[in-house]
Amino acid sequence: MNIAFWIISAVAVLGAVLAVTLRNLVHCVLALILFFIGIAAHYFLLRADFLGTVQILIYVGAVAVLILFAIMLTHNVTGVDGPKELLGVKWWSGAAIAATLAILLKKAILSDPLATLLPAGDKAQSSVAEIGKALVAGWVVSLEAIAILLTAALIGAVVIALEEIQKS
Amino acid sequence: METIYQLLHVTFANVPAWTVQVAAFLIPIAFIFGVYPAIFALTTLVERKALGRIQNRYGPNRVGIFGILQPLADGLKILLKEDIVPRVADKFTHFLAPVLIVVPGLLVYLVVPVAPGMVAVDLKIGVLFALAVGTMSVIALFMAGWASRNKFSLLGAVRAVAQVVSYEVPTVMAGVAVIMAAGTLSTLTIVERQGGGILNISNWYVFRPWGLVGFVLFVIGGLAESARCPFDLPEAESELIGGYHTEYSGFKFALFQMGEYLAGMAMAGVTVTLFLGGYMGPGSGPGLVGSLIAMLWFFSKLAGMIMLNIWIRGTWPRLRVDQLMGFAWKVLLPLALVNIVAVGFWHFLTPRPLAWVVTTGWLVIWFLVLTKCNASAILEKREYRYV
Amino acid sequence: MNYPGKGLVEGLAVTARNFVGSYFYKDRLTTVQYPEERIQTPENSRTFPFLVFDESPDKPRCTACKICEVECPPKCIYIVMDRDDKGKPLQRPKAFDIDISVCMQCQICVEVCPFESIKMDNDYEKSKYGRFNDLVQRLPDLLKSNDYYRQIKPVEAAEVDAKLKAEAEAKAAKKAAAVAAAAAKAAATPPAGSAT
Repeated sequence: MNIAFWIISAVAVLGAVLAVTLRNLVHCVLALILFFIGIAAHYFLLRADFLGTVQILIYVGAVAVLILFAIMLTHNVTGVDGPKELLGVKWWSGAAIAATLAILLKKAILSDPLATLLPAGDKAQSSVAEIGKALVAGWVVSLEAIAILLTAALIGAVVIALEEIQKS
Repeated sequence: METIYQLLHVTFANVPAWTVQVAAFLIPIAFIFGVYPAIFALTTLVERKALGRIQNRYGPNRVGIFGILQPLADGLKILLKEDIVPRVADKFTHFLAPVLIVVPGLLVYLVVPVAPGMVAVDLKIGVLFALAVGTMSVIALFMAGWASRNKFSLLGAVRAVAQVVSYEVPTVMAGVAVIMAAGTLSTLTIVERQGGGILNISNWYVFRPWGLVGFVLFVIGGLAESARCPFDLPEAESELIGGYHTEYSGFKFALFQMGEYLAGMAMAGVTVTLFLGGYMGPGSGPGLVGSLIAMLWFFSKLAGMIMLNIWIRGTWPRLRVDQLMGFAWKVLLPLALVNIVAVGFWHFLTPRPLAWVVTTGWLVIWFLVLTKCNASAILEKREYRYV
Repeated sequence: MNYPGKGLVEGLAVTARNFVGSYFYKDRLTTVQYPEERIQTPENSRTFPFLVFDESPDKPRCTACKICEVECPPKCIYIVMDRDDKGKPLQRPKAFDIDISVCMQCQICVEVCPFESIKMDNDYEKSKYGRFNDLVQRLPDLLKSNDYYRQIKPVEAAEVDAKLKAEAEAKAAKKAAAVAAAAAKAAATPPAGSAT
């Protein structure tokens, strides 16, 4: 495994750890954005350019903005980041549950034959055309179902907003 | 980068391979860091002088001859200003926001080709990368407004975010039309597809019916994404009540301006690449002379787009926020969707004149339908009683 | 014919005409580049007083009558009459100081001067670097020729010149009439004296 993998993983794990431990919610979201960018970098490392770019476009550009808006509409988000109670009872019980989950997940993932395949590395080609063809030819039913779901969500949002306007 | 690597590998054959790789990596980056901020500095001066000429006055002409040292004077002034951070502001976020505005603006230049083979990184998904990275500046706008702990900054930031996010959709869809016609997402290939034809000009996508509509949509979207006139409501709020860069002074404010201008020029660069044929023009081809002519063409077209932006800034009044959002969702988005269908017609109708007629007719009909449906938003001529 | 977007395109045409025209027709740019070009202020504008001389600065119109010093509301004028060795007053000022930091440009000195010698100037570039005593204009600074007065205020100067010429002619005519009367009287009386 090359050095790039370890650096990107370190950045992503740092982002994830900060996202769950910081007190100030806006800082948590910024750490989460760092994590998303780390995952996108992993995708680029695996030569899945399209997926990495879509990760940035959707997660950083839309989902993170959504979370920021949601936080903005909440009260009492700005706690102070500082030293807090480390290594208390809650921390140990949480760590124990996380360790158990990690061991079980590792066993489950590694028992699948797909997991032992090494990543294609330099032999992989960027496959935007393949993805496009697969979506329209093979998985068209799923594509249309997702489209209907998104349209329904959009119409639902408009209806809720319309009710608010009509009420006031 | 590949081309530079090949060139260096051939000329300096006896140095270790890793120096050539590092050099091939650093030269395009040095080019981007050197040329585009210099163009930004020149653009601030040219904009002020051009706006002055439009408004029947001279622009700045005191500092050097024709005011050429004015950007230097502005830079010195803003470096020497005191950097005030509000006491209750969120220090980390306040510090990071100007940085995050500049970075996406600079990243887009990586996929804009300036000469045959000369693009910093030849990504197979170049256009998508450019558009995706452009959306990262949204976070920075919000951070700037939030960190200032100022109600008006927050409102300005929310409006700016809403504007940028709404105008991304028609912009990306206008780009999709070009991607469909070229069949690839790589910017270098798109530019190469626009070569050939009469004088290397007649194949530019702007001269196709769907290309013209797409060009107009992309220009409008580019103006809105970098918050320039007539969509400069975030900036106007900074004159009136606030806006996301109220609480910034000194060099951080300069970084906001730089990020905005760099993003605008990056969108202009992407517009030139997608619609105006990139570096294609009479005389551009491979080889040294052809590459120099191609670079000249590219920068002339970029200058033309920047002058168009300045011209529009000097002419049209600012849109109100509800007019802005209505325009994006009710006019531009349906037009972009119709444009995609028009590209479909163009691709599948085989006799060329028939394709021209059908595509043009389809677009004109839908344009008239959309303007008719939205006519209620246009104010009628008012009758004044005591005129 | 109205097409959607007509106003936008017409606006762009107007600004383009302004932009291109500003390079070819110089009268589109109405800026006066100040330190290099100055335009003459209108005739009725006034800043601070100055003294008029006709042929040379040694012969100002002012006779140091001190009417303007007495009439000046903020008392910014200070006049000393020039006297010769015996103490006889020469009808011209030795010192004539106007403190322009006090002068309120009311023009009363101009209105009361019987000799048309103090007039209001148009010159506005009177700032100095010193805070003390540099804003007092002394006699050499204040003396300016009648040609200068004609150049900055042609109509007024023409009226003043006409008035002075009329006065001079009236005085010459009166003097000639007095000489003629004296000659007539001299011609009339001796024959009567020699007759007795």
